[in-house]
Amino acid sequence: MMRRAAWLLLPALVLAFLLLGSGLDFNYVIPKRLVRLGAIVVAGVCIALSSVIFQTLAGNRVLTPAIMGYEGIYLLFQAVLVLWLGTGSVARLGAQGNALLSMALMLGYSWLLQRWLLREGRGDVYRLLLLGLVLTMVLGTFTQFIQLKTSPGEFSILQSLGYTSFNRAQPAQVLYSGLLVAAVAVLVARGTRVLDVLALGRDQAIALGLDHGRCLRLQMALIAVLVAVSTSLVGPTAFMGVFVANIAYALARSARHQVTLPLACAVAIGMFLLAQLLVEHLFNYRTSVSILVNLVCGAYFLALMVRTRGTP
Amino acid sequence: MSRLLLPTLLLLLCGVSLMVGASQMSWSALLSASDDAWLTLTASRLPRLAALVLTGVGLSICGVILQQIVRNRFVEPATCGGLDAAKLGILVALTVLPGAGATGRMLFALVFCLLASLAYVAIIRRIRFTNLVLVPVIGLMYGSVLSAIAEFHAYRHNILQSMQGWLLGDFSRVIEGNYEIIYLILPIVVLTYLYAQRFTVLGMGEGMATSLGLNYAATAILGLVLVAVTVSATVITVGAIPFVGLVVPNLVALRYGENLKRTLPIVAMCGAALLLACDILGRLLIHPYEVPIGLTAGSVGGVLFLVLILWKCK
Amino acid sequence: MITLEHLHKAYGDKTVLEDVSLAFPAGQVTSLIGPNGAGKSTLLMCMARLLPASRGRILLDGQDIGRIAIADYARRVATLRQVLDFNLRLTVEDLVAFGRFPYSRGLLTADDHQVIDESLDFLGLQALRRAYLDELSGGQRQMAFLAMTIAQRTDLLLLDEPLNNLDMKHAVQIMQAIRRLCDEQGRTVILVVHDINFAANYSDHVVAMKQGAVHSHGPVAEVVTEANLRALFGLAFEILPSAQGFVCNYFNPSLSRELV
Repeated sequence: MMRRAAWLLLPALVLAFLLLGSGLDFNYVIPKRLVRLGAIVVAGVCIALSSVIFQTLAGNRVLTPAIMGYEGIYLLFQAVLVLWLGTGSVARLGAQGNALLSMALMLGYSWLLQRWLLREGRGDVYRLLLLGLVLTMVLGTFTQFIQLKTSPGEFSILQSLGYTSFNRAQPAQVLYSGLLVAAVAVLVARGTRVLDVLALGRDQAIALGLDHGRCLRLQMALIAVLVAVSTSLVGPTAFMGVFVANIAYALARSARHQVTLPLACAVAIGMFLLAQLLVEHLFNYRTSVSILVNLVCGAYFLALMVRTRGTP
Repeated sequence: MSRLLLPTLLLLLCGVSLMVGASQMSWSALLSASDDAWLTLTASRLPRLAALVLTGVGLSICGVILQQIVRNRFVEPATCGGLDAAKLGILVALTVLPGAGATGRMLFALVFCLLASLAYVAIIRRIRFTNLVLVPVIGLMYGSVLSAIAEFHAYRHNILQSMQGWLLGDFSRVIEGNYEIIYLILPIVVLTYLYAQRFTVLGMGEGMATSLGLNYAATAILGLVLVAVTVSATVITVGAIPFVGLVVPNLVALRYGENLKRTLPIVAMCGAALLLACDILGRLLIHPYEVPIGLTAGSVGGVLFLVLILWKCK
Repeated sequence: MITLEHLHKAYGDKTVLEDVSLAFPAGQVTSLIGPNGAGKSTLLMCMARLLPASRGRILLDGQDIGRIAIADYARRVATLRQVLDFNLRLTVEDLVAFGRFPYSRGLLTADDHQVIDESLDFLGLQALRRAYLDELSGGQRQMAFLAMTIAQRTDLLLLDEPLNNLDMKHAVQIMQAIRRLCDEQGRTVILVVHDINFAANYSDHVVAMKQGAVHSHGPVAEVVTEANLRALFGLAFEILPSAQGFVCNYFNPSLSRELV
């Protein structure tokens, strides 16, 4: 029932987003909005898939790539890039070049994390969480430090990267990202049953005949690609992944990835659309998507932490 | 030997701190009583030194008090929402009472900080099965919600850009005439020292504290008030400096144990020394400009915190 | 069947298993017993390929298990570890279906459905098949996991403390099921048990471990003796025969025996 309502809500949100206050201007306003819609869909899918898969691999419902430092590393990397090369060279590198470099970096970080998760096993969740939160703060401090050394123009570009926004995505970038994410999504869709087995934990997965190490490496690589795409497309989203994944679990009433993954995508896209609609029509641009998402998802995460009362 | 090491180190750092700065200043110029040199010294260098030492002492002692009240070694103003609440308070003061001076803004910061830490302690006490890392995790989340509220508020009033600038800890603004609020930390330090025994007992938990004849609630609230005053005074004069209150007491406890009566002076000196060192580093890194201490202390403290997490909760 | 040759396992310089050589009899229930830290679970984990051995070989029907593809191994050896706080929202049927993963990689065939049905029947879980795991009692959940392991249709089952944290009724149910697996279906079961009485009354063969080495092994009657158990656990034992089997009393053995 709830699930059906969620699915019906999505088209309604899409239509509202495209048409509300557009004056049905099919030449300018609506094409512009279509690009933004594209960015929202691609980023929403990235955040949903990466968060749910990461939680399956980590064996808990609180850790997400964003919390474990992926976004912090991405932003630090962008700052370093601008500092070394200057905005001119970064522009010459092109969005694609930058995206490829970022992806390589995310893959490297994924590889490190995966080695660590493999070795530590499903250790104390809260310890990992605290590590992730503090690491993100420290990385943020380093980023700020590097920003100090850049010129004012570069500074403002870097600063804008630190916020969730659907306005900076270019049509070409949305297209390329969309194709890439579609390819990843096909891989994920074909592996939902493997993910179900991975959710039982390392030992049970091996006992059921999975090459656990190889599966983990593959999934972590997919996560890296997804995070790189979403962060370069719409910016960091911090706690949104936790919110999206947990709402999806609650709606799904089943832990099977065939059910949870699509639902999570719908929740993420719906959340983005709703935030954008609120910013445009309720707050009249007197707040931003980034702030709304941070506020709602942060509060949700806090409530989740307090409610679990120390039992993961 | 080791008894003298720390004070000597502290004095040395004070000396270096006085010497380093944008304008060259030599002791010979001072001795020859050059007016310029004296002006630099009294109007900028000495106030800065005082502010640094007081902030370092105050923040690390805040950490100790909070750690006793919450009974968790990873709690400090930045991991219990206090720091973010103080920022929010200043922001609200700026929009509600734009005419309020530093004192007025500080009062707002104080009230917000106190209420936020009271709420935090109440939340933590409601959670039955806590563990060492869950408590700071909740605090960090709580802080990020408070700062999201602050951003929401700031964005609506178009002061988001400037807010991020001036809330970052920075001693370069400290000059004679605009930093004196920081001296409030002095009586706080004295009070904390006098109450050290009680805070130690507080750290044993409510049951034990009550059976030892301590008014638990009153002592805890007193502690939170001391923390709120210190945090708001530092935020208003120099801005937010995270992790000092966490790292210093933990490192001191590793070496000297946790008897407050004995370790408080050491914690205070180490806090001052850490801030001085971070400040000197910040002034040298991109000389003649300087890196705000919020960044240097934040990085050093954050990295040390990471090391502590990796090491302490094996 | 499965044999171990000079198996060593060490973490750093701490030796957990030392020169273990054993042949487990096919078609029988073998219990691994011994005090805590004797290396029973480590031994089982090595056989399950969840832990690599430091030295030595494990042979399954004469073949080194390291050379068997992990997916093939899962069709020959099924492992069940202790089920800790498990909060996935899956039904019992969903879980048991995972037992068919080694065969169909998740796309269930009619054959698979039949095996799932039989496994549920075998443990009397049909009534619970649509119940969610997080709503079951610990004992019921353990039964569901055992059903999954049974659905793997392997000749060999490795069970790591299947009775942990179970009440008496569920513990007896699980041990009876294990016995029937062996008697009715000819499967080989190797399990780690803490309760000496369950080991003595339900297994054919016992391997006693102490400090990482095999202390004694053989048919139950040879290993479960008063003298042997005393040497193994450092406790006085009194073995009381009854019509149904026997009881090993170590709670309050008579004083005279303790002095012997």
